[in-house]
Amino acid sequence: MTDATSITPSHRALNASDAACTPVNGDKDRYVGMLRTMLRSRFTDERLNRLYKQGHITGGVYSSIGQEAIGAATTAAGQPQDLYAPLIRNMAVHVGRGETVLDVFRQWLGRGGSPTRGRDGNIHYGTFSHGVYAMISHLGAMLPVVVGGVMARRRLGVDAVGFAYIGDGGSSTGDFHEAINFAAVFSVPVIFIIENNKYAYSTPIAGQFRCERLIDRAPGYGLEGFSADGNDALALYRLVHPLAADIRAKPRPIMIECDTMRMRGHGEHDDFTYVPPKLLERYRARDPIAVASNHLKAEGVLTAAEIESLTQACQAEVDLAYRTAMNEPPPNPDTLLDGVYANA
Amino acid sequence: MPEITYIEAIRQGLFEVMRAHPDVVLYGEDVGAFGGAFKATLGLQKEFGKERVFDTPICESAMLGVAIGMATQGLRPIVELQFADFITTALHQLLNNAGTLHYRTGVPVPMVIRAPCGGGFSGGPFHSEELEAIFCHMPGIKVVYPAFPCDARNLLHTAVMDNSPVVFLENKYLYRHIKEAIPAKHDPLPFGKARICRNGRDATVITYGAMVNETLHAARDLIDDTGYDITVVDLRSLKPYDKDTIMAAVASTNRVLIVHEAWHTCGFGAEIAAHIAENAFHLLDAPVRRLTAPDCPVPFAPVLEERYRPNSAKIVSALVDLIEY
Ligand SMILES: Cc1ncc(C[n+]2csc(CCOP(=O)(O)OP(=O)(O)O)c2C)c(N)n1
Ligand SMILES: [Mg+2]
Repeated sequence: MTDATSITPSHRALNASDAACTPVNGDKDRYVGMLRTMLRSRFTDERLNRLYKQGHITGGVYSSIGQEAIGAATTAAGQPQDLYAPLIRNMAVHVGRGETVLDVFRQWLGRGGSPTRGRDGNIHYGTFSHGVYAMISHLGAMLPVVVGGVMARRRLGVDAVGFAYIGDGGSSTGDFHEAINFAAVFSVPVIFIIENNKYAYSTPIAGQFRCERLIDRAPGYGLEGFSADGNDALALYRLVHPLAADIRAKPRPIMIECDTMRMRGHGEHDDFTYVPPKLLERYRARDPIAVASNHLKAEGVLTAAEIESLTQACQAEVDLAYRTAMNEPPPNPDTLLDGVYANA
Repeated sequence: MPEITYIEAIRQGLFEVMRAHPDVVLYGEDVGAFGGAFKATLGLQKEFGKERVFDTPICESAMLGVAIGMATQGLRPIVELQFADFITTALHQLLNNAGTLHYRTGVPVPMVIRAPCGGGFSGGPFHSEELEAIFCHMPGIKVVYPAFPCDARNLLHTAVMDNSPVVFLENKYLYRHIKEAIPAKHDPLPFGKARICRNGRDATVITYGAMVNETLHAARDLIDDTGYDITVVDLRSLKPYDKDTIMAAVASTNRVLIVHEAWHTCGFGAEIAAHIAENAFHLLDAPVRRLTAPDCPVPFAPVLEERYRPNSAKIVSALVDLIEY
């Protein structure tokens, strides 16, 4: 159960400092887990960027670098029975939900043993056993899917909560509106997480919407909305964890807008010269991994040496995974038509 | 005459129509200063200003609906979709609003939707689709699909000046893979006129889009390896399509292969095959054949996409089968 004071009403932004003073208590594993998720996500992205430049990855590479805290905190705040719909910047949701880094590389490399068996690539995957939906590209399209998934799980007696992610740009789509309104009408416990990273491809947020904050829309849907620092995993966790428990017990959707920054181009093909360097600087100084590491040290959860060895372990895991995936075969082209329909 | 790429020709056509017609506006996602995901609109905003060339939020349905509103009030909007695949979130506006308005009210709807389509670069299921059959099925909508730089530029002029909604399909693979010498001034090119790319006696291939180029490759290989000589018809415009040219080609070769990159069932090839069956049955020496993508989503892994997508080698073997029927 949550007490009401831990819920920030939509008209008050949550500051990192509001939450960071909560003691760590018995949650140490989760805090360390969040850092581990972020490190695995970051190292995986960095390796994907290199594999792309080396010509091993076809299509494109779209990275989550700088936005790892959001996936780390929101997966740490959930439970196994919950449903997640990650999007383009959510590597940390995949690894945070326990999808293996090896599977991530298989997916991006289009291997036969990838979660989509090579049928789809890059960000377009998710495994049901981890409660993760495989996104389609069309922005907004996954939001109603999560709403339906949660409705069904709850009807079957599972007290699931949904975590649906969308960008500042994706918030302009019709599906965004329809899904949130639908969830509101049926009191479906889904957390709509808006990752406001200031850009949609080359378009800054001023070209996308004219409300001051996207959560200003929440009251219009009859929802509570929360602002959060999207680069502070611990603070975000301390916001989302009680909220998730609360809507699990008293079902209703909520909206959280995370302030963050896309630190790379839209994809690795994009030199993002349209982004003012000052803006990047401001967020580089708030790199989510550094922010979390500093908190964990300051709160006495981990020592610098422990963080260093965690970092090395994550790097080693990622290196092993990509090498393994590189040596695996592509799909057998004879399987092209397998699975278009389910077995009757 | 300078040689320019397919995408350069589109860009040049856009500059030309916007210079000539102050009522033309262009918008879409990232088309302004950024010049669009493929750079087809680079420099347009600089020359014509933000009033005429602007970025929109991510909202395809509103983008098309707004175009209908503009088109009915004296503007000629051009909407760029970042990828054709994303139009599915806006089909309602196209089918029900754009496609019926003139029929219901007599008010013309001069708008152009530019849609980059096609695969061949491991774009996966949502960045590779070929959706022409969906558009061709809609009453009130015209559909063109150029395969060469000159045709792209000329058809763009025609599309913008047409008084009905036009879906202007562009092939992403062709964007930078095909070049052509282009004259100083565009030539008028009405819709519904196919291009006969080459004349042969043994069979006709009817195709469009990226498959024109693949077919021309196949035809060259075939004449070298087997001596079979192929007629290649590039439809260029799908609705309306050039029935006279099709009939003449069938009459002179008596064998027809239809090739497209889109799905098989209810693909545009089915329309052409039906038209030939209805009108040229007596001219055929073999059944009309289709070479298309199979009925499955466009796969990501290169080996799967290679199997999925028609190419010159597959066209060669389909032609040999057809000719030796
Ligand atoms: C319906 C739809 N239209 C266009 C696109 C093309 N597109 C892919 S990502 C993107 C920008 C997304 O921006 P945002 O939602 O802010 O997410 P971010 O990339 O910043 O994480 C666009 C326009 C799309 N995927 N879906
Ligand atoms: Mg964004």
